[in-house]
Amino acid sequence: MGAKGRDPIRDAPFESGQTHLGEARQRYMMQYYPYLIMFVVFDVVAMFLFTWGLAFIALPLSQDFLFLVFLVILVAPLGYALYLSGKTEIW
Amino acid sequence: MPALPTLQEIVSLAVRIITSRTFLEIVFFPGLLNVTLSAALLTWLERKVIARVQLRIGPLYAGIWGILQPIADGVKLMFKEMIFPELADAKLLMLCALSLMLLAIAPVVAIPFGEGLVIADMDIGLIYVFAALSLFPSVILLIGWGSNSKYSFLGGLRSLFQQVSYEIPMWLSVLGIVMLTGTLNLSEIVKAQQNVWFVVPQAVGFAVFFTAGLAELERIPFDLPEAETELVMGWMTELSGIAFMLGFLAMYTKLYLMSALITALFLGGWLGPSILPGPVWFLLKTFLVCTVMIVIRGAFPRVRVDLLLKAGWTRLLLLAIANIFVTVVLILLGLGWVWRV
Repeated sequence: MGAKGRDPIRDAPFESGQTHLGEARQRYMMQYYPYLIMFVVFDVVAMFLFTWGLAFIALPLSQDFLFLVFLVILVAPLGYALYLSGKTEIW
Repeated sequence: MPALPTLQEIVSLAVRIITSRTFLEIVFFPGLLNVTLSAALLTWLERKVIARVQLRIGPLYAGIWGILQPIADGVKLMFKEMIFPELADAKLLMLCALSLMLLAIAPVVAIPFGEGLVIADMDIGLIYVFAALSLFPSVILLIGWGSNSKYSFLGGLRSLFQQVSYEIPMWLSVLGIVMLTGTLNLSEIVKAQQNVWFVVPQAVGFAVFFTAGLAELERIPFDLPEAETELVMGWMTELSGIAFMLGFLAMYTKLYLMSALITALFLGGWLGPSILPGPVWFLLKTFLVCTVMIVIRGAFPRVRVDLLLKAGWTRLLLLAIANIFVTVVLILLGLGWVWRV
């Protein structure tokens, strides 16, 4: 609802009072990128776990335990992926 | 050729729609009015409680105890000029702020505020709420990118990493409840707690969900995306006027609905002694959870980025998986019937 006006200083991106250094859309080192990749993988696993959890009571016990074993096996690759993600110098 | 509806028919249809239960639910109680008013009230509550924690008084002059302060702020922001930087994509920013607000309101559709007091009683209510919550990071990243300002960009990226990392522990912490009840319907989950609330058998899951919820809400101790001392206002830096109001209100709406979700999942929802009606119990519990989150903001410092991400992927995730095993043991011990609907 307010009035519109143009002023080069007011329309500049905020950089703590300094003159801004141009575009912010430049190359930026994403040292936390592996966490995103991990999300893509484990996201799907988590969703499948929900279908298992829903059917937990209905399934026979032997098949429930199959999934628990799968869950434990999953911890090893998760640990390795975390170890690699922690080494920020390679990303 | 079918006859055109007469004016009377149109009017009667309109009256029927407006007085229908679903319409009233969408507009008033569990719907729009409830959510926006509660979010506005929460901004006041936060300022008041934080002031108490820091031995200040907080808003005082607008209305009794300054309770009209959110309305005064809203009017002020509405009349302010919207300044978008010259390099920014103003249309994208406005659109993102709007869709952020819509996304924040979306979960209310599936949350039961009382016995049968829910807009859409979905069988996949829980998945729906999680789906709505998991769309946030992409919109926030778009705001950071569209602002074309370094602070906003960094804030958007941090928000993306943080919310993505804490989503999986959050989902897995709820899996125990799904296993015990065998349903994803939130009303059924509340009804299953009439003997014992889920906060007792799922104490670990509750702790994980609460922590991950704080991270999803970008609140202290996980408020890295808008760390005031480093990033000014994070991804909200370049928003102003109505766009800022929408983004700000969206965060408080999210806080309110996250607390409502915690109440429905772990704290027995509308269940309580029959002195008060169910919805009142629900609102009391929800505002209690909100107050706890606000006090945490007053009491804790901020964590470091890499530690935050690592803690989400190691400790919280392992605790959530441990919670699944605890649930399996509970069911094997034959205690599952307590929470059967």
